[in-house]
Amino acid sequence: MSDLLLFQLRRVGRNRQYVFFTIVLPALFTVLFTQVFGAQATADGGQADYGELYLVSMMGYGAIGAALGATIRLAFDRSTGWLRQLRVVPVPPGTAITVDVAVGALLVLPSLVVVALVGRFVNGVELGPGSWLALIGVMWAGSVVFVALGIGLGIALDSQAAGAAMGIAGTALAALGGLWWPVEILPGGLVSLAHAMPSYWYAQLGRDVVSGSAPSAQAVLVLLAFCAVFSAAAVAVVQRRPLHAVAG
Amino acid sequence: MPGTPALDAEGLTVRYGGTVAVDGVDLRIPRGETVALLGSNGAGKSSIVNAALGLFRPTAGRVRLLGRAPAEAVRAGGVGAMLQHGGLPSETRVGEVLTLVRGRYADPWPLDDLLATAGIQGLLGRTVDALSGGQRQRVLLALALAGAPPLLVLDEPTSAMDVGGRQAFWTTMRGLADRGHTVVFATHHLDEADAVADRVVVVGGGRVLADGSAAAVKSRIAGRTVRFRCPGPRDGLAALPGVTAVDGVGELVELSTSDAEATLRALFADRDALPGLEVRGATLEQAFLHLTTAPDTTARDTTAPDGAPR
Repeated sequence: MSDLLLFQLRRVGRNRQYVFFTIVLPALFTVLFTQVFGAQATADGGQADYGELYLVSMMGYGAIGAALGATIRLAFDRSTGWLRQLRVVPVPPGTAITVDVAVGALLVLPSLVVVALVGRFVNGVELGPGSWLALIGVMWAGSVVFVALGIGLGIALDSQAAGAAMGIAGTALAALGGLWWPVEILPGGLVSLAHAMPSYWYAQLGRDVVSGSAPSAQAVLVLLAFCAVFSAAAVAVVQRRPLHAVAG
Repeated sequence: MPGTPALDAEGLTVRYGGTVAVDGVDLRIPRGETVALLGSNGAGKSSIVNAALGLFRPTAGRVRLLGRAPAEAVRAGGVGAMLQHGGLPSETRVGEVLTLVRGRYADPWPLDDLLATAGIQGLLGRTVDALSGGQRQRVLLALALAGAPPLLVLDEPTSAMDVGGRQAFWTTMRGLADRGHTVVFATHHLDEADAVADRVVVVGGGRVLADGSAAAVKSRIAGRTVRFRCPGPRDGLAALPGVTAVDGVGELVELSTSDAEATLRALFADRDALPGLEVRGATLEQAFLHLTTAPDTTARDTTAPDGAPR
C-alpha cells in the first residue's frame, strides 16, 4: 500500500493550486484577519485574543481545505478511468479509498504546522510547547470529519460537480462556521446556523485548547456524530455506485 | 493448473434494469488461443469482458479465469486488461504509473522489453495529460502487459489508433500469441478479427451467434448488398436466389445477399435495367442481422431462453 500512498501524495503535492489554497492562503489570512479585526479591537485591548482566535480559525480553514481537496479527487480518478484501471491490477479491494483517506489525513498536517508557525512568529501568539502540540494534535484528529466528507463527495459526484462542491463546501464551512469572522459578531439566526456546522465545533476544539482547557465533550460528540454521518453516507453511496463504475 | 481454460463462462447473464446485455453466454477459451469477440456496438462484447474481469457481478451464470474467480485471478497477477473506459491518472508521468503497476507484480515484464513491445520508448518522462489518444492507448497496453500475464483481455484496444498504429498493435499481439499468451479481444472490425484471431466468436444481442475459425465465420457473414432504384412493385425480390433481406428507403431497394452473382443474374433475367446499381460488401451490422435472423446459423452451444426478442 505504501507504493500507492507515495504515488498519491506526489500527485497531490505537485498540484500548485492545492498547495496555494491549503497552505499559502490560510497563512496569509492568518496575518490579514488578525491585523484587520485585531486593529479594530486594539482599542479594547483585545489584539492578542484575535491573534489566538484567528490562529485556530485559519488552522481549521486550511485543514478543511486540505482534507476536502485531497479526498474529493476520487471523483477525478473515477472520471479518468484510473480507478477502473486499478481494478485490473493486483491491488486489494478497498485500497484506493484507504489510500485517499490516508492522503487526506497526512496532507492536513503541513497546513496546520505552517499556520501555527505564522501564528507564533508573525502574529506573536504565545503558547507553551505542550499547548502547541495539543493544538496541532486536536486539529489533526478533528480533521477526520472533513476527510470523511471529502471522500463522500468524491464518491458521490462526477468530476465537474466535485470541483464546484469543494469550493462551495470549503467556503460555506468557513463562512458559516465562524472561521472567517468571530461568531459573536453575527446576528442571532446566523449564530444558530454556525452551531449547526461541523466547522464551528472543529474550531471549538482548538479554542478550548488555546484557552488552556481540554476540548469540550460537546464539541467532541458533535464531531463524532458528523463523522459517523459522513462515513455512513459514503459507504451507502459506494455500495450503490462502485468506484470503478464508469462515470455518468 | 495449466489444464484449466484461460476463460470459462457458463450461462453468463448480465442485466441492467430491464435491458439484457448478456444473455446466457457459454464460452470456453483454452490457454494459448487468440480469440476475437466480434460484434457491433451494443452487441454485449464489453459486458462480457467486464463481467469476465470481475468489474461487475453477473446477474446469473459464472465466469472463471485461469481456474479462479476473476478478481482473484487479477490479484494473483494472471490477467492484464485494456478496458474501454480504463484510463490513466492525471498529474503523473508515464514512468511513474508504469513503475507503480509493474511493482504490483511478483515477476514483471522487463522494462526495456516492455517499452519496446508497447512502443512507448521515449514517453517515460511525459506527463500523462499531454499524451495523444494513440500514445495513451499504448501506455494502457504497457500497463496491461506490465505483469507479463498469461491472459490478456482487450476491449476494443485500437479504437483511438490510426491505421499505422493499428497495424503495429496487431503485430505486437501476434507476437504475444506466439509467446504463448492467451489473447482475448473485443472488436467491431471484421478485418482485425480475421487478421489476428485463431477463433472468432460473433456476439449479437448479448448472445453468441457464431463461433469458429476466422475463415469459417467470415464465409458465413461476409455477404453482399445489392442496391438499385426500383420505382415499380417489389414483389418477389425476397424470393430471389441468395437474398436474405429486403430493405430500402423510398425508391431505393437494398437486398442483402449471400450470393451476389446469383441474385444479379436473377434480377437481370427479369428486367432490362437496374438504375443506380451498386454492389458492395455487407456491413457488419447487416451480417449480424443475417446471423440473428437465419435460424440455421445459430452458434454451436448457445441455448436461447425464451427466444430473447430484439
